[in-house]
Amino acid sequence: MVNGEWRTRLILHDLVPLHWALAGAGIAGITLALLFVGSRRLGVSTGLEDICSLVLPVRYFRRAAVLSGRGWRLPLLGGLLLGGFLSAILGGGWEPTWALGVFDQAIGLGPAGKLAWMFIGGLLIGFGTRLAGGCTSGHGIFGLANFELPSLVTTVSFMAGGILTTQLIYRVLFPLTGAP
Amino acid sequence: MTLLYVLLGTVFGFVLSRSGAADYDFIQGMFLFTEFQLYGIIGAAVAVTAPGIWWIKRRGRTLGGQPIAIELKALHRGNVLGGALFGVGWSLAGMCPGPILVNIGEGKLYAVAALAGALVGAGALGSLYEKIQPLFGLPPLNVGTGEG
Repeated sequence: MVNGEWRTRLILHDLVPLHWALAGAGIAGITLALLFVGSRRLGVSTGLEDICSLVLPVRYFRRAAVLSGRGWRLPLLGGLLLGGFLSAILGGGWEPTWALGVFDQAIGLGPAGKLAWMFIGGLLIGFGTRLAGGCTSGHGIFGLANFELPSLVTTVSFMAGGILTTQLIYRVLFPLTGAP
Repeated sequence: MTLLYVLLGTVFGFVLSRSGAADYDFIQGMFLFTEFQLYGIIGAAVAVTAPGIWWIKRRGRTLGGQPIAIELKALHRGNVLGGALFGVGWSLAGMCPGPILVNIGEGKLYAVAALAGALVGAGALGSLYEKIQPLFGLPPLNVGTGEG
């Protein structure tokens, strides 16, 4: 936050972000291409299960939805890594970084603290998305666009969880007002 | 086909990276209501996807003529608690599952810990599934929980 105004640039090389309408249309294009070409339902958090299914021999990871989807979802996940990598290279070069925007200004933990913080966040993401049956992509984008009630319930729940948590962190515990 | 999915994932990852959807500050800005960007992105994505899905379902076939079959997600109490837990995690990490991978690709080192946590979390849910199934009214395993 700069003088009461939120930064409008990305942490990545201080780049100016794509227009939201263009980005939204691009995500819609990917979602529709998956459905139109392969009858695939967009969903990234199921990809977490695909990875788990490679190493964990429990019944849950032997479901048809996992076993039949690994062949396309794992390549899609690999593409997400590659997309981030190309974005960094084309945007000014790839370099390992610990930069974390307003977290560095307001909370300011070092690398070890960030790893612990992120691991806890990740635990909640992995457990929560799979308990809810999907994440922002499968519920928030595909499910809402397909008018599915479970997706509306889940989306309202994760937006509420996120809003309460961020409001608590950046308005109560580590207030951002007066940050440089 | 594998290459096509890698390509679609790459474009998806690039858009997430460059739009703010994989950016810690933009995620916090969304939850603080100080940044419109993510609401615009998700809203536009849903608004364009909805008529597209309607049209593809009406057509009934993929480009190659295969029937369209969309696996629907189940409604249960896990939607609420799981969604809320995920929301807390999304706020803490500033990433949802796709952007975790995008951030690793960008070179953000802490994102590796988010991925490790997410895999342990998903693994824990998978291992506990049959124990907590009655508690949340989760669907039986052979049906699956959808391809989220």
